[in-house]
Amino acid sequence: MNKNISKQIKQPETTSWKTVVKGSYVYVLLILVVIILSVLKQGEGSIFGRGHFLNWSGNIVNLLRNAVPIFTLSGGFTLLVISGYLDLSVGSAISLGSVTYVLLLLNNFGFFPALILTLLLGIVLGFINGFIVLKLRITPVIATLITLNVYQGIARLLVKPGDRGIGSYGMKSLPAWINNYGRASFFNLGLPLAFFVAIAVIAILVIIQRKTILGKYAVAIGGNKLAAELSGIKTIKIVWLLYIMVGFLAALAAVARASYMSFGDPAAGLGMEVDVIIAVLLGGTLFAGGEGSVLKSAVGALIIMCITSGLMTVLPSYWQSFIKGAILVFAVTLSTLLVREKAIV
Amino acid sequence: MVNGIDGKIGMNKISVRSKLSSESFITLSMLVVLVVLFGLACLFVPRFFLLQNIINIITSSWYIIVLGIGVTFLLVTGNFDLSVGGIVAMSSVLVFYFTQTNSGARSALDNGLGLPYGVAIVLALVAALAIGAINAFFVTRLKIASILVTLGTMSITRGIAQIVTLGSQRNVNIPGLFGAVGNFIIVSSIKLSVIIMIVLVIIAAIVEKMTVFGRRTYLIGANTQAARLSGVKVEKHVTILYLTSALLAGMVGILLSSEYLSGNSNRGMGFEFDALVIVLLGGTSIIGGFGTVTGTVVGALIISVVTASATGLLLRPEWQFLLKGVIVFIAIMAQRFALDRRQI
Repeated sequence: MNKNISKQIKQPETTSWKTVVKGSYVYVLLILVVIILSVLKQGEGSIFGRGHFLNWSGNIVNLLRNAVPIFTLSGGFTLLVISGYLDLSVGSAISLGSVTYVLLLLNNFGFFPALILTLLLGIVLGFINGFIVLKLRITPVIATLITLNVYQGIARLLVKPGDRGIGSYGMKSLPAWINNYGRASFFNLGLPLAFFVAIAVIAILVIIQRKTILGKYAVAIGGNKLAAELSGIKTIKIVWLLYIMVGFLAALAAVARASYMSFGDPAAGLGMEVDVIIAVLLGGTLFAGGEGSVLKSAVGALIIMCITSGLMTVLPSYWQSFIKGAILVFAVTLSTLLVREKAIV
Repeated sequence: MVNGIDGKIGMNKISVRSKLSSESFITLSMLVVLVVLFGLACLFVPRFFLLQNIINIITSSWYIIVLGIGVTFLLVTGNFDLSVGGIVAMSSVLVFYFTQTNSGARSALDNGLGLPYGVAIVLALVAALAIGAINAFFVTRLKIASILVTLGTMSITRGIAQIVTLGSQRNVNIPGLFGAVGNFIIVSSIKLSVIIMIVLVIIAAIVEKMTVFGRRTYLIGANTQAARLSGVKVEKHVTILYLTSALLAGMVGILLSSEYLSGNSNRGMGFEFDALVIVLLGGTSIIGGFGTVTGTVVGALIISVVTASATGLLLRPEWQFLLKGVIVFIAIMAQRFALDRRQI
């Protein structure tokens, strides 16, 4: 313990191997997971062949297409967590956004108008979350649990009773181009436009987190809200902006999901919040706030997607809940234990 | 929140409510809300004011109240337990699986372990306690945020239920004794489970108000450091609370599987949030150190009246999500408003 303290006093950013490991374990995890999943079916043909994990068109493309919502969300969610707040209603926001987008399309809205309107909805949802948490000063957990129920309820109410979701409306059916955004290959690259948008979102958020004032303020607020407030940072405005951003991104993810499924499913986002939380934890961001990395959360998201899809080839689908729960507990333990050692001062 | 001093400190027109503690005040207010809602329901919902309906309102919420007891105590100490729904599913499925006879039938879902009913119950409860122990370990020893841990165990327990039932449910090859406990009727439509709930609520209320254990719970919630420095073994205390909550959930699962004569992996879906809702409605504050079991019961009745009204008005069941969210929201705002006005 003493050695570490002296190292920290001498060099603020110690490059001892311990710190390096703690900072980058998520990348190691990713490599490990990919390797394990790739060799699972060894002996059955080429490692890039059909039925294998690394098979491009059979598996990787599907995996990445499915990962679009969580990729889109995880960056904004991470920023919110860095500032010390959280939003449990993202799953329901995605559900509501999906259903709304499909409804708009069925009412003859074009792609861009429907997209813009859905994004506006997301902004409104995020605004409401921010309002309840910041202005009414209800704990984020309870506040977003409430909005989770409300948004989910609205999503379900928009669907006719008995229907699993919205695929058509009376005589009208969905336009044929609905798949273009979330499923169809973009310029023959194999991956849909939505995927590249998600990557762009992550890139933008990484820049925001590292280089912009917004990112620095988020860290400051998460580290010590009172100190940030006293330093002149308008914490309420900043965090409110972050909530709105999360709502916006949830709507974006919703459009991608609806487009991928060609279906307005009120359960589209069910459980998504758990996935995002696992991704953020794997990435090393703490829910106490004050530090975190958008990039690492994205890697965490990739890990959880790999595990979920990889496990589906080996285990039946009813193992999913158990595995995800175990991973969550594992991730949360890992991140807490690592922090314990970091915070020596 | 000191008894008796409230009225004297304020300069406001806070009247002679100085004898009423803040907790009783909140419980009383919620009781008023319940009565008002009930009155409104009688006016607007056809055939609401029937004895059978009223009995139904009370008896249909028995399981959520039992779960609510555990969650109330934990929330008073500032901890969450989101795993109760999953534990209900897990213990429900396990007790069924353990009792199911091994008839050698072809489908895996038709064969169980064929253990005696009593043994199966004990084993299922042990499993539930194990989950409670896991929760307690991660929360008290590793000091991980309870909401994250219990979110994880919620998935794990539901996952176990899903694995044992291959994703659906088990409902055959059960000895007749299995259905006895859950369907045992005392008076007209009141089942044994309701009596169990009432007994548990009374015990909980006594513990909460009159035992050292109960008062210590409130101290831990109000000021953990002070509790620790006063010699309260906080970790052990919270561990007991998690074990109790898990045990209660296990009991609920066993009773439900007996009542429905099946082990369904979907049972208990959403129970954890419903339990949290009624606890919050009952006045328990998330800050900790404040809240009562009686309040939780009142909260459960409020939700019950609302759902019964929604059904009576032939509203779609999906409205319940919305209604629950809105009601909790209003309740929290109202409670805070009332408390602020009271303690100037």
